[in-house]
Amino acid sequence: MKALFSMQNWFLENVGNIDLETIKNWFLFNPKQPLLFNSALFLGFFLIFYVIYILSRKTHYFRITYVVLFSLFFYYKSSGVYFWILIFSSVVDYSLSRLIYVESKQFYRKFYLILSLVINLGMLAYFKYTNFFIANYNSLFDGTMTFEDIVLPVGISFYTFQTLSYTIDVYRRELEPTKSFMDFLFFVSFFPQLVAGPIVRASDFIPQIYEKLKLTKEDFNRALFLIIGGLLKKAVISDYISSNFVDRVFDAPNSYTAFENLMASYGYAIQIYCDFSGYSDIAIGLALLMGFWLPDNFRTPYQSASITEFWRRWHISLSSWLRDYLYISMGGNRKGKIRTYFNLFMTMLLGGLWHGASWKFVVWGVLHGLALVVEKFFGQFIKLPKNSLVRTIQVVLTFHFVVFCWLFFRAKDFTTAFQIADNITKLTFDFNQWQTIILGYKNVFLLIAIGVVWHFIPVKMLAGMQKTFSTLPLVAKAVLLGLIYWVVYATASADAQPFIYFQF
Amino acid sequence: MNTSKYFFQTLVVVIVSVLSFLAFKTILPKKIFTESKLNSKSVVVDSLLLEAIAEEVGPAVEDSMANTVIDYKGVNGVRFPAETFEEYTGNQYLATFFEKLFQLETKKIGNVRIAYFGDSMTDGDLIVKDFRTYFQEKFGGQGVGFVNITSESATSRSSIIHEFSENWKTQSYLKVKQPLHPFGVNGHVFYANDTANVAWVKYKANKTRFATVLPRPTLFYGSSSNKEGKINYVIGTDTISKKISPNSLLNALVLSESNLKSIKVDFKQADSIPIYGFNFDDGKGVHVDNFSNRGNSGLPIGSFDVATMRAFQSKLNYDLIILQYGANVLNYGSLNYSWYEKRMAKVVAHLKECFPGVAILIISTADKATKYDLEMKTDSAVVPLNTAQKRYAIKSESSFVNMFTLMGGDGSMIQWVEQEPAKANKDYTHFNHRGAKEAANLIFIQLNKGYELYKKLRKKQKKSAVPIKKDSLFFNTDSVHEK
Repeated sequence: MKALFSMQNWFLENVGNIDLETIKNWFLFNPKQPLLFNSALFLGFFLIFYVIYILSRKTHYFRITYVVLFSLFFYYKSSGVYFWILIFSSVVDYSLSRLIYVESKQFYRKFYLILSLVINLGMLAYFKYTNFFIANYNSLFDGTMTFEDIVLPVGISFYTFQTLSYTIDVYRRELEPTKSFMDFLFFVSFFPQLVAGPIVRASDFIPQIYEKLKLTKEDFNRALFLIIGGLLKKAVISDYISSNFVDRVFDAPNSYTAFENLMASYGYAIQIYCDFSGYSDIAIGLALLMGFWLPDNFRTPYQSASITEFWRRWHISLSSWLRDYLYISMGGNRKGKIRTYFNLFMTMLLGGLWHGASWKFVVWGVLHGLALVVEKFFGQFIKLPKNSLVRTIQVVLTFHFVVFCWLFFRAKDFTTAFQIADNITKLTFDFNQWQTIILGYKNVFLLIAIGVVWHFIPVKMLAGMQKTFSTLPLVAKAVLLGLIYWVVYATASADAQPFIYFQF
Repeated sequence: MNTSKYFFQTLVVVIVSVLSFLAFKTILPKKIFTESKLNSKSVVVDSLLLEAIAEEVGPAVEDSMANTVIDYKGVNGVRFPAETFEEYTGNQYLATFFEKLFQLETKKIGNVRIAYFGDSMTDGDLIVKDFRTYFQEKFGGQGVGFVNITSESATSRSSIIHEFSENWKTQSYLKVKQPLHPFGVNGHVFYANDTANVAWVKYKANKTRFATVLPRPTLFYGSSSNKEGKINYVIGTDTISKKISPNSLLNALVLSESNLKSIKVDFKQADSIPIYGFNFDDGKGVHVDNFSNRGNSGLPIGSFDVATMRAFQSKLNYDLIILQYGANVLNYGSLNYSWYEKRMAKVVAHLKECFPGVAILIISTADKATKYDLEMKTDSAVVPLNTAQKRYAIKSESSFVNMFTLMGGDGSMIQWVEQEPAKANKDYTHFNHRGAKEAANLIFIQLNKGYELYKKLRKKQKKSAVPIKKDSLFFNTDSVHEK
């Protein structure tokens, strides 16, 4: 009896008081608390989900339907009733693709394709860009159109691109449609990559649905390694430096010194990389544990020696999607040099707009697009010597260009972006000042430094680390994972860095 | 090969990881990345506040005021209704200020001046800029008022473009106890002591409403034995050189009678002359001076020199002094604010001695959120500090704006930060431009409500009693604008 009591006490202390209301909240939509991979709630759900998942691994229909239902629940948790939109687009795309597949007359095939594009892009445009359009209309024509009260369904930009790849691949006769609607819905709604990518190609994913479910030793170890790294990147480095430093400087850049402005810009580069790649890594790891392979999304992009290379290493699933379905559809490099440059530029402009309905994303895309065009143009005439010094200079220059472009991506408006850029130009070398600031934000700077060092760890060394991890006994791996949860938890409960005003 | 094996191993890993997490949670600390105190002379802190905290002695006996009813004696026959502690505004104590507004509004007589003291919340003219605009919109007036020579927040100030040379020597009441000369009303004193290079300051009007020009730039400086000092500046194509005559405790030198777009002033041979700053106002309507200092707790005001302040008062003629502090007192570690209450009551008493008859308004701390476990909540110090501020407002017969309740009370800072578009910064302490404008509006609305009530009470009183004695105060033109 006593043991039971102390057990109950322990439970209360460590898990918290659980009442009906709490349990209800676990299952209900809350726009402020999407089901993030780095939350305890997700861990709990995944544990229960996974038991039934592996027990049903030999079935097809049951398992597929089961995962679809869980994915829809997962989507409902972050988007509420909008999970109907996910189902609606899936019905439309599945049906039109079937028609495209069975139809032999080119005219009708094209018609179905265009219909699918219009519906998908139309929905994306409505949910994401209506108010952007209204704002621009109003400022151009002194209009007084009122804004629509539209909530952007989470992940719509991601799954729209996924379903488009399916329809276009079927149209291009590069892919056979799925055998059933449920299989298709499984592809669209697969929860590990549903809300933040990687954007999975139908041709990569759908064949896996019909294979026997398997999880090899290598994949198992890789998955755990990715999840551990992803948690550290996303929930420790990114979350901590953003709320304790970067956000504050971007909120009011003029209240900070030139050095703080510069460090916040670097900090944001590390933050967005850790946030995004960390989340992708967790998604890839989770999918692996479920027996599915998802494409790599990031390959240490800040090691790039050019913007062209950067886009082969940054958000790879998006850049390759844009290349295959937008750039190539516009004609790619098959219509002469001028058209190639134009296509490249437009692809990046639209790619920028995909990130958000605002001119600042367009400018971000345009800057990258111009850089790609300039590199392509001068690449014909200038051949740089290939040695480590030249490469280092290129990496440093590329990184700084990327950081500059991020200012527009992150700042709330153009004024703020230019303020930061302007403040940085006032930087003077002052070792004492820098030291004081670094000491003032020592945790932030420590994490930024870890982020940078991690980024430049050679591939061989990473492979070595993963190999060492693989040789650990099972329980050690699990305890290590548990320790990482604690680091995530203790970071999340860390006190906010107190406000510091420096005066020099 | 049995590839199913690893599915079950995964399950084991997940379960063991959760269990080991719970174990780690019990044995390891709850937080990482704790902060150690940063000791650096470059960090802006209020030295008087640090002293006050260090001297703080035991818990004071609380005489609860919660059930107190605040009853007023009338001023010139205008008597505001009694108020409860809960809803205290102390409008009664603004009666002289309201009367000046009334004369200004109805008879276009006189002008009204407000000194707005604050901390980083009003840094860069946030809140005050909009507060000034609301008043100037209703009562007239042009210009941003008094501006320092150097300012830590000059770059973030949008209501005026303010630049200065690096070689000014600055003494601030936040850090210096015994200044070379008394502090000005802005809590600072500046010296152009660099003999090798010219010290200069430049002001340029920005596109802010009612501040698109610099009306009647006037330099304020103190007394010194150095009679050689002069200033050079350019108006149009003329270079003008003027002598600084530091003969009195406080001197004012008008640089131009007309409105300028911008002005750059060079100080020559002016070392050891205490320079206070420039004033820009057109002498009509309402003017609001922003005296903000990052890190200020309000306590340094207690170090003002009475004679110097009276000299400022005779030139600038303030009608209302606003004190908006609190953000820097919130996180010192205890919820007992009786020490702060006592010391601020003394500060207010001192201000009343410096500026006899001037109404005083205390604006409370705004809401501030802190992380408790994993959740942001209103900092537990906000309500105790807020109560302490209200108590010293009542005890010192000052009026009171409860910024915390006006912005929505418990949890409101979280909303201000998280709503789209955001009204406050991610530090869960400071407003951004949008929030500052709303805060200024909330303050203005409360003052305006009090003013409207004053007008009604005044009318009623007029019908029933003798006309108001024409207090000389109401028709005082300040000496800066004497013609």
